Amino acid sequence: MLEIVKPGLETSIQDYPGRIGFWNQGFPPSGPMDSWSFRLANLLVGNAAGAPGLEAQYMGPTIKLQGDSVIAVTGADMKPTLDGEPMAIWQSVAVKAGQTLVLGPARLGARGYLAVAGGIDAPQWLGSASTFHKASVGGLDGHASQAGQLLPVRAAQGTPGRRVKAGRQPAIAADRKWLVEAVPGPNDDWIDAAGHERFLATEWKLEARSDRTGYRLEGPDWTFTEKATDKPPENGSDASNIVDQGYPLGAINLCGQKPIILVHDGPSMGGFICPYTVPSAAFWKLGQSKPNDHYRFKSISVDEAQALARTLDEICSDDSIE
Amino acid sequence: MIYDEPRFLPGGDRYVTVEFGNEMNLELNFLAQGLATALAQNGTKGVVETAPCFASLLVHYEPNDIRFADLVAELRALIDSLGPSEDIELDSRLFYFETMYLDPWTKECIADYCAKITEKEYDPDFVARINGLEDRHQLVRVHSGSEYWVASLGFWPGLPFLQPLDPRAMITCPKYNPPRTWTPQGTVGMGGSASAIYPVATPGGYQLFGRTPVPIWDTEKRFDVFDGNIVLFRPGDRIKFVPVTQAEYEAAEAKIDAGSYVYNMVDYQRFSVRNYHRWIATVDKDERF
Repeated sequence: MLEIVKPGLETSIQDYPGRIGFWNQGFPPSGPMDSWSFRLANLLVGNAAGAPGLEAQYMGPTIKLQGDSVIAVTGADMKPTLDGEPMAIWQSVAVKAGQTLVLGPARLGARGYLAVAGGIDAPQWLGSASTFHKASVGGLDGHASQAGQLLPVRAAQGTPGRRVKAGRQPAIAADRKWLVEAVPGPNDDWIDAAGHERFLATEWKLEARSDRTGYRLEGPDWTFTEKATDKPPENGSDASNIVDQGYPLGAINLCGQKPIILVHDGPSMGGFICPYTVPSAAFWKLGQSKPNDHYRFKSISVDEAQALARTLDEICSDDSIE
Repeated sequence: MIYDEPRFLPGGDRYVTVEFGNEMNLELNFLAQGLATALAQNGTKGVVETAPCFASLLVHYEPNDIRFADLVAELRALIDSLGPSEDIELDSRLFYFETMYLDPWTKECIADYCAKITEKEYDPDFVARINGLEDRHQLVRVHSGSEYWVASLGFWPGLPFLQPLDPRAMITCPKYNPPRTWTPQGTVGMGGSASAIYPVATPGGYQLFGRTPVPIWDTEKRFDVFDGNIVLFRPGDRIKFVPVTQAEYEAAEAKIDAGSYVYNMVDYQRFSVRNYHRWIATVDKDERF
C-alpha cells in the first residue's frame, strides 16, 4: 500500500495505453502523457510496461510506504528523497515499510512517474485504471489522489538496482525549447502555403492555460485557402470552422486563430479544423514541457511518424534495462 | 456536397479520417455509420476503433498491423462493397425519454445567465420566433414530434448529437455567445440543427428548452441497460422525447433515485435507409405539427 501524505499538484493513477475503444462514445484514452518514461518505470520494477502507476504533474506527492517493495521514479527530475536522503531516478530501488518518499517540484521536465513492483491495484473502468478526473472516471474513485488515501499494490517481487541503459531515456530539453514532429492533416488543405510556412518557421509558446485536455499555443495568425471561406453555411462562420468531425489524439486543433494540441484527456470531436497532428512518438515531449516552453514544429510524413513509433516501442522494452 | 469519392485524410501515425462530404446531411452520417458497421463485421486487421461524426468517420488503427496505404485500400474496397447508401441497414435501439419541456430548472439556468453574463430572450421563445413558429408551445409540439438519430457522441463523454429524422421537425438556432458556465444535468437543448442531452452538469452553448430525469451517464452501474458501460448511447440509437408534466417528471425521478426505474427502450428494429427515403419522399417538409 502507498499512503498519500501530500497529493502534490495533481497526482493520478494512469495505465498505458489507457481507455481504448470508447472514442465513439466520447471517452478519451487518458493514460500517461509521457508514456516513454512511464513504461520504463514499470519495466525497471519488473512490471508489464503498461501496469497502473502514478503520474505527478509539476509538483510531486509525499508518499508513506506501507510495505517493503521495489519502486522506480522516472520522467521529470523531481529530486526524490527517501527519508530525506536523495534517491536515484531511472533505476529500481528497494524500499522498506514506514519510509517516506518525497517528490518535489519538477526541476527538469514537467511530469514524474512512480512505478511500484506489482503495480497499483486500481479498479478497471471500461478496461483501464487511467484517471480521467474531468469526468470523475478511473483511478480509485474517479479523482486525482487525495491526502490520506491508501493506494493498494498488487503483490510482486521486484529487483532493486536495475537501471535504464545510457541513451535509452528521453532527452528532456534543459533549454525548454523543443523540436516537435507534426504530420500534415487531416485538414492541411485549409491552410495556404504562407500559413504552412509560418507554422513551421514560428517558435510557438506554450500558454499557462494548458492541461491534460489541451495545450494552447501562442504565436502568429493563420492564413487560409479558399476551402475555409467558400463552404456550406453549416460548417460555421469562422474560417477555422468545419462540420463537426472526429479528432485524432494529438491533433493541432485551430479554434479561430488559437492552435490547441488535443492531448490524452481531450475532446473526441468538434467543429474546428486540425491542420496538423502530433504523432504518438512525440507525445512525451508535450508531457515533459511546461508553460512558457517553446515549440518548433518539424513536418514529417505518416511513414516517418510510424517509424518513430516503432523505434520508441523498441526502446520501451526490457532491452533498455540493465 | 456529397463527394463522388470519399477522401482519406491522415491524422498522425494512428488515424485516418474518411470524409464523405462537407455538409450536415443525414445521408453522410448513414455512410459513416455504415462503414463503421462494415469494418466491425469485416474484422479488418489493425482497426482499433472508429468514431462516426456528421460527415466523416475517424478510424483509429495500429500501424504495426496495417500500413496506411493498405488501410486506405481496404476502406475503399469496403465502401464499394457497401453499394449505394440506399442499401445501408443499421441496428437501431429506440429510447423513450420522459421530458419536461419549458421546465423550471432550465428556466432558472437561463435567468441566472441573464443576471450574471448577458441579457437574452427566453430560449424557447427565441427558438420559436427565429423558426417562424407560433409560440413556445408549438416549439414543444414540433421538437417532440420526431424521433432523433444519434449521429455521434462527444464534447463530453456520452453526450449525444441528435438529428430529427422527421423533416417537419427540422429547426435551427445559433449557440449562446458567450457560452454558459453551467447547465443542469439532463437538459435538452439545441444549437445549429443538432439537439443534445447534457449527461452531467457542464458548461455549454446550446439553447435550452427541456429536461429529462432519465440518466444517460452511470458510473455506479445502477441500471442494467448500460450493460457495464458508463454511457448509455451508441451511434445509431434513436430517442423519442415524450412530453410530461412536472408531477410525471418527479415520479420518474423518484423511481430513478430508488433504482427501480425501468428504461423504456425497444431493441428489435433495423433502420433501413431505403425505407426512410421512401417515407420522407411522401412528407411535406414545410408542414409543422
